[in-house]
Amino acid sequence: MDKDKLKQENPLKVNRRHFFSQLSVGIGSLALGSLLIPDLFKQSSQEMASRPLGIPHFAPKAKRIIYLFQAGAPSQLETFDYKPTLEKRMGEDLPDSIRNGQRLTGMTSGQESFPLMPSAAKFKQYGNSGAWVSDFFPHIAKIADDICIIRSMHTEAINHDPAITFFQTGSQQSGRPSMGSWMSYGLGSENKNLPSFVVLTSRGKGNSQGLYSKLWSSGFLDSKHQGVLLRAGKNPVLYLNDPEGISRSDKRHLLDQVSSLNKLHHVETGDDEIESRIAQYEMAYRMQMSVPDVMDISKESAATIQLYGEDCQVPGTYAANCLQARRLAENGVRFIQLYHQGWDQHGNLPNEMAGQAKDVDKASAALVLDLKQRGMLEDTLVIWGGEFGRSNYCQGKFDPANYGRDHHPRAFSIWMAGGGIKPGITYGETDEFGYNIINNPVHINDFHATLMHSMGLNHEQLTYKYQGRRFRLTDVAGNVVKDLLA
Amino acid sequence: MTTTSRKRWVDYLILGLLIFLCFCLLFESHISPPALISWLGHWHPVVLHFPIVLVIIAVVLLLSGKKVSYVLLSISCLAALITAISGFFLGLGSDEKGDLLFWHQLLGAAVAIGMSIWYWLANNGYAKSTVTKGLGLVLLLMIGFTGHYGGMITHGQNFLALPGGTKTDIIPDNPLIYEHIVGRILDAKCVKCHNPNKTKGEFLMTSFEALLKGGESGANIIPGGPDESEFISRLELPIEDEDHMPPEGETPLDAGEIEIMKRWIALGASDTLRLNHLESKDPLAILIKEMMVPDPLEKWAQLPGVQDSTLTRLASDYLTITRIAASSNALRIAMYKPPKYDITTLTRLKVISENIVELDLSGLPIGKDEMHMIAGCKNLEWLEINNTPITDNDLDTLKVLSNLKLLKVFETDIADNSLDILKNIKSLEQLYIWETSVTEPGILQLKKDRPDLEIFSGINSELKTFFAENDTLAIKEKTK
Repeated sequence: MDKDKLKQENPLKVNRRHFFSQLSVGIGSLALGSLLIPDLFKQSSQEMASRPLGIPHFAPKAKRIIYLFQAGAPSQLETFDYKPTLEKRMGEDLPDSIRNGQRLTGMTSGQESFPLMPSAAKFKQYGNSGAWVSDFFPHIAKIADDICIIRSMHTEAINHDPAITFFQTGSQQSGRPSMGSWMSYGLGSENKNLPSFVVLTSRGKGNSQGLYSKLWSSGFLDSKHQGVLLRAGKNPVLYLNDPEGISRSDKRHLLDQVSSLNKLHHVETGDDEIESRIAQYEMAYRMQMSVPDVMDISKESAATIQLYGEDCQVPGTYAANCLQARRLAENGVRFIQLYHQGWDQHGNLPNEMAGQAKDVDKASAALVLDLKQRGMLEDTLVIWGGEFGRSNYCQGKFDPANYGRDHHPRAFSIWMAGGGIKPGITYGETDEFGYNIINNPVHINDFHATLMHSMGLNHEQLTYKYQGRRFRLTDVAGNVVKDLLA
Repeated sequence: MTTTSRKRWVDYLILGLLIFLCFCLLFESHISPPALISWLGHWHPVVLHFPIVLVIIAVVLLLSGKKVSYVLLSISCLAALITAISGFFLGLGSDEKGDLLFWHQLLGAAVAIGMSIWYWLANNGYAKSTVTKGLGLVLLLMIGFTGHYGGMITHGQNFLALPGGTKTDIIPDNPLIYEHIVGRILDAKCVKCHNPNKTKGEFLMTSFEALLKGGESGANIIPGGPDESEFISRLELPIEDEDHMPPEGETPLDAGEIEIMKRWIALGASDTLRLNHLESKDPLAILIKEMMVPDPLEKWAQLPGVQDSTLTRLASDYLTITRIAASSNALRIAMYKPPKYDITTLTRLKVISENIVELDLSGLPIGKDEMHMIAGCKNLEWLEINNTPITDNDLDTLKVLSNLKLLKVFETDIADNSLDILKNIKSLEQLYIWETSVTEPGILQLKKDRPDLEIFSGINSELKTFFAENDTLAIKEKTK
């Protein structure tokens, strides 16, 4: 057989002759290189410190993350960023000195004026920390001392898709691995019978934006790190159950046969992907048992059901997903990604946001309390927030009872709880208009770096080489926000 | 004949170079090299590889009794001389010679002279005499050492040290800012290129006096003036800048380290300043205290080693064993409920019991035997045995665990008798205990006996009521 053809067909089958014929050129050029560039073979300190995969780089604070993503971007001005100035200067135009050249979306760029709009929700201070929380969120207000509110998040994106992609993958353009995939890649699985990255979605009545599976894609990483979407209802994982009439022992027999064939192929080609495929089949087989077990909430106590709210018994609701998230966390899933859609209030904000808040307020707080009483807040990091903020001026007709807010990337609020993050603090500050950050900004890259730090990973060291360069979740930026660490 | 005349030219060339080399060595201190000569010196790293290879080949041929061809010998000899001379030119660039450089030059010159002698011997009928062979052996040794010293000069003294052998010296309780903090940073990031053997920019950083003296552009640390100090400004240049220090490709100082340098200079760049001279609010004191926080992994540094293969052997689909961190022998073990529970999965963990620091057995049907296994894990700090059928008797076996910090026993069958045992586990910091047969007065008593212990006895009733009363959307509305 033609030598090149053989190599092309099976790159792993490069034999001794190929090796030697290419070695001479290779060694020669290496030698020349070392003469011309003395430091060519010196390991950079970064490489020296590179660590094996599947183990934290240093002792972690958090072993898993539950990310309560509020898709559509809830307004910071109606959640955690209290701005009395907006009341005083209601209806006045946003000063140019504050807007300072900020680009706008097509939805408000044609607007003649940008009248400042105060919050429809009332604010009060809660807990020993005196955190400001709006009255849309009475339950989250009760856990003010357990959470860390960051009011100084900022991003570059001003539209949903790039913004949410940025949050999930560290890049506004799609194609990079999701952060859950990075964690799975860096830390491996805690429970071999469940995927290490699981996605749960729910939808409120507010104006929604789409969710795409690219948000939980593993990008260029091995597809075993991809997020697995658990659906509401009878069949949480599609095609996991055996067809009618196939018993579990039949299935076992089938898998054994397939695996012996695959092993033959592996001996022939030496391709490690085959081994990981065999392992995936085996995991799916075990998942047939473990997934129904995890999804079954019939043994949850009445007190728990009451805590999360009655609708946690209705599959597909945010509350049900929160309860599910706790159960998945207990079972060693590394990254549990929830999405609740419906936070895109370009109009009718007071009504829509009240409804959205009602969907998530109680269950989010219940999750934190439940994790706390189980000691899981010690090693589980909960994150609540959207992809950007909303404008401090009114979109559309100026009506304090029925206004809208456009997208705003320069400042927005999220909160985190547990997992080595300082509880009971409010971090960062915006100006009196809630438009620009004046203190302790946290960029999405910094946010990612901080999450990875809690999980025991150095964001600069967890890399994957693809298309000729090493990629990281934080790419070329990001600093761990040490002030947030307990 | 042309061959003889060419040979004569080579003889003259070798003699000429030899005399020039000896002249250089003898009158080194009187030579100030013109720019072109320094430039020739820069070729030293390129040419030096030739004599190493050629001399070794020649010596091996000689010692194994084979004929060393005239061409090989003359080229090796010329290469050795040229390398020695170019190396000498390169060495003129540094004003202060370190030990390494001194020996490297001396041996290099010796190799060149030795080769010239061999050349002479071979051309005068002593090609295979014992003297020549002895000389070959000496040359082999010398060239080895010359190359080794040269390598250390370029790549740093520890370049060939075995990996893992580097010891990080601990910062003392009340460190001298210069010696223990600033010096440590310099050693890690700067000294590689600013030492007596390789003094880039003529700036030596191995002693306090030299550091303050500065380099070719004069003093660059202005005590009390970090903003005027070139030392600081070059650290803070963008990494792409030519003048950024350390140069691109080396590990830069991190923000904290730069801040330490700045503050130390602002406070007068003294070598006698100690941590306790600073106010506790001083940014320098805060930064240094951060540096001094021990790595959480350090306390587990003494644990016995455990092989990855052992962990793979003991783990199963339902039993996960992971190292707390990459370099640590401390282990975290979690077991998930298998379809068929088999106690030996757990009992065979005895071989690594000392390494287990975190153990999660929640939700498993564990009993007496498992508890004995747990009691054998004397370094255990974190134990989850919630949602298990354990009783007071089982819990009693845990009293020997003197490192236990966190314990989860909620949703178990333990009762008030356990509280006495828990009270006496002095190391315990966090206790999760609810949905058990333990009574409320019992918990209150424990709280009183152990005020340092954080007890989580469920969500408080006020919150519970609040949550129960304010339900979210009514279930009917949702199902519609």
